[in-house]
Amino acid sequence: MDAPVVAAPSPFRPAAPPEGRRPGGILGIVALGLALVIFLVDAFTPLEGAVAVLYVVVVLIAARAFQRNGVILTASGCLILTAVAYFLSHRLFDSDSALLRALVSLAAIAISALLVLRNQSAARILAEQAELLELTHDPIFVRTPTDTVTFWNRAAEDLYGWRRDEVRGRNVHVLLRTAFPDGEAAIRDALMRNGRWEGELVQTVRSGARVVVESRWSLQRNADGQPLAVLETNTDITERKRAHAALAESERRYRTIFDTARVAILQQDWRQVKAVIDAVPRDSGMSLGTYLDDHPEVVRDLRRSVTIVDANAELRRLIGADTGAAAPQSLDAFLFEDEPTFVESLLALARGETFFEGETVIRSLSGERVPILFGITFPSHADGFECVLVFALDITERKQAQEALLALQSELAHTARVTTLGELTASIAHEVNQPLAAIVTNGEAALRWLKRSPPDLGEVSAAVTRVVASGTRAGEIVSRIRTFLAKAPPPRDWLDLREMIGEAVLLVEREMVRHDVRLVRDVAADVTPVHGDRVQLQQVLINLMVNAIQAMATVIGRPRLLIIRVAPDGTEHVRVTVADSGRGIAAEAVERIFQPFFTTKADGMGMGLAICRSIVEAHGGRLWIGGHHDRDDGPGAAFHFTIPMTAERGS
Amino acid sequence: MPAPPVIAIVDDDEDVRVATGSLVRSLGYTARIYASARDFLATCSSDAPDCVITDVQMPGMTGVEMQKGLRALGSRVPVIFVTAFPTEALRETLLAAGASDFLGKPCDGATIIRSLEQALTGRSTRDATA
Repeated sequence: MDAPVVAAPSPFRPAAPPEGRRPGGILGIVALGLALVIFLVDAFTPLEGAVAVLYVVVVLIAARAFQRNGVILTASGCLILTAVAYFLSHRLFDSDSALLRALVSLAAIAISALLVLRNQSAARILAEQAELLELTHDPIFVRTPTDTVTFWNRAAEDLYGWRRDEVRGRNVHVLLRTAFPDGEAAIRDALMRNGRWEGELVQTVRSGARVVVESRWSLQRNADGQPLAVLETNTDITERKRAHAALAESERRYRTIFDTARVAILQQDWRQVKAVIDAVPRDSGMSLGTYLDDHPEVVRDLRRSVTIVDANAELRRLIGADTGAAAPQSLDAFLFEDEPTFVESLLALARGETFFEGETVIRSLSGERVPILFGITFPSHADGFECVLVFALDITERKQAQEALLALQSELAHTARVTTLGELTASIAHEVNQPLAAIVTNGEAALRWLKRSPPDLGEVSAAVTRVVASGTRAGEIVSRIRTFLAKAPPPRDWLDLREMIGEAVLLVEREMVRHDVRLVRDVAADVTPVHGDRVQLQQVLINLMVNAIQAMATVIGRPRLLIIRVAPDGTEHVRVTVADSGRGIAAEAVERIFQPFFTTKADGMGMGLAICRSIVEAHGGRLWIGGHHDRDDGPGAAFHFTIPMTAERGS
Repeated sequence: MPAPPVIAIVDDDEDVRVATGSLVRSLGYTARIYASARDFLATCSSDAPDCVITDVQMPGMTGVEMQKGLRALGSRVPVIFVTAFPTEALRETLLAAGASDFLGKPCDGATIIRSLEQALTGRSTRDATA
């Protein structure tokens, strides 16, 4: 048989020569003995005939006993023995017929030796090629077109569990109970048509286990084109299939989580961002933050460069997209102008962080504001940026609950203040109204006594005297109330201004979001606690902040900034600045703004700033309008107030 | 000539009750003044007035309790309430309990006179616009 696989000589040598080729075996001795017998008969018997031709048998036996050199040696010996026998029994040219016989014998020996050598060489190549088939890890067998096994390699033994001598002559596909997923007839047709076929088969090994194999069939034809044999190479892919199935299952599971999670999940492509951030020059000593501040167009381009590869159903719900409609392709579509956390995420990426989370507000498809909590997972290696995973959680309800709670708290605080004020008012009204009522009634009575005819001057005099007394008494009541209020100072606590500003910001946060105002907070590290009334100072802070926010309601075309700065002013006072970027305050209004009942608001009482000033002054500080602390030319108004800093804590 | 109507004035504030008494007398009525609701109730069973002008908030017994006391004694004498802290809720409560009128302090003489005249002629101000 021809090996259809390898034609070129192989670098591999068979580990051991095939059996029966060992030099000096029994066959060698037989060959040498036979040669000796032929020589004796040829040389010393009068037998006339081509006895030396029998040396061909010696050469043929030697071919099986010896390798190449042994065969050459044997053939040469036979040639010499033939010649010697001739010279011993016949002298040179003694008999023409004897000489002819000797020459024929020599030719026969030489030709048979050459043929044997050629045959040996061909057999060696074949053996080497067959050995290669044994070396491969893939099970290989050769079968006739009717599936009878003629060759079965070692890997086939290992996979299927049958030895070659057990399968030789058997129908292989019956033995292996081969299942043909693509249809047996179609496969055999394809093999006949193309000379080869590749595909998957399911087979049963000796232990009964089913294996999935990737099968490759090659058809060998004879010179007439008739099918001769099929070489079948089967690679066991059972494990690979199982791993693939497990992977597919895992993928399906994660896909289900992705699709059904109540958290919005996005897959975003950040390659462009990564490339740009990596390329920003860092040698000039300028920080990336400064660079991005100075180049808003870079930030804008980066926002547009982040594309959304995939997004789940929750995200569509979050942004109000119909299931049918296409979700936005770029991150830019979700973000409002000057969205601050995007730049922060760039800085985190530049620092090499692998996770960044924050809270922001995104824009739904209909332009509504949706507050979210989000997290970005950056890949740790540079080539993973086409798949940056981002999750987002809708916190609208949480925000609403928080705002409702704060509103309720602030409502309660307000109610408490109003109640206190109401009780005070009732008490003052009662106290003061009594003498006022007496005065009015006495006046009325005096008029009537005067109008009598004749007028009763005694009664008039008595009534007017009582008017004077009641008036005096009313004055005394007012001064008594003032004394009483002065004697009951508001409770004083040690107050951390940073903490108080945090609380005030929480209370006005809803107002800020509603008016699209961004907060800039700057509290110096060396601000010490101040001594004061928490509720009153909170009232001042909130009043000034709400004023600032409302002053920016009509600002268009520049950022609406609420700036709060707290720093020592160098005179043992801490200075709090509440500034805005609104239209500012007209010069004539500055004069009157702290007067009671002055207001620019349609529904304002005009008491806010007057009360604020009296509270601040009661704390030993001042409240005034000034330019911005650091940018006097900036737009908007700035209110400053001071509170004394006390170095040591008192009682 | 019949005797002038007797008006009882109950108020814990001396200035107010003396002034009101003077005004009532200047109108030609007879005024009797009392410093507390108890003082008034102690005398009125034997000598009932034609009308009572009383404060609402008084120590000891309030004007509201005093009116209940009067009704318990079987008296139908009209009661005019005058208070330094009038509220709509109080007004409704008192009128529902049978008060003749409800006035805020300080109130001018013309209002007191009109209210007195209405009380003495038996006309209720319950349905009148205040």
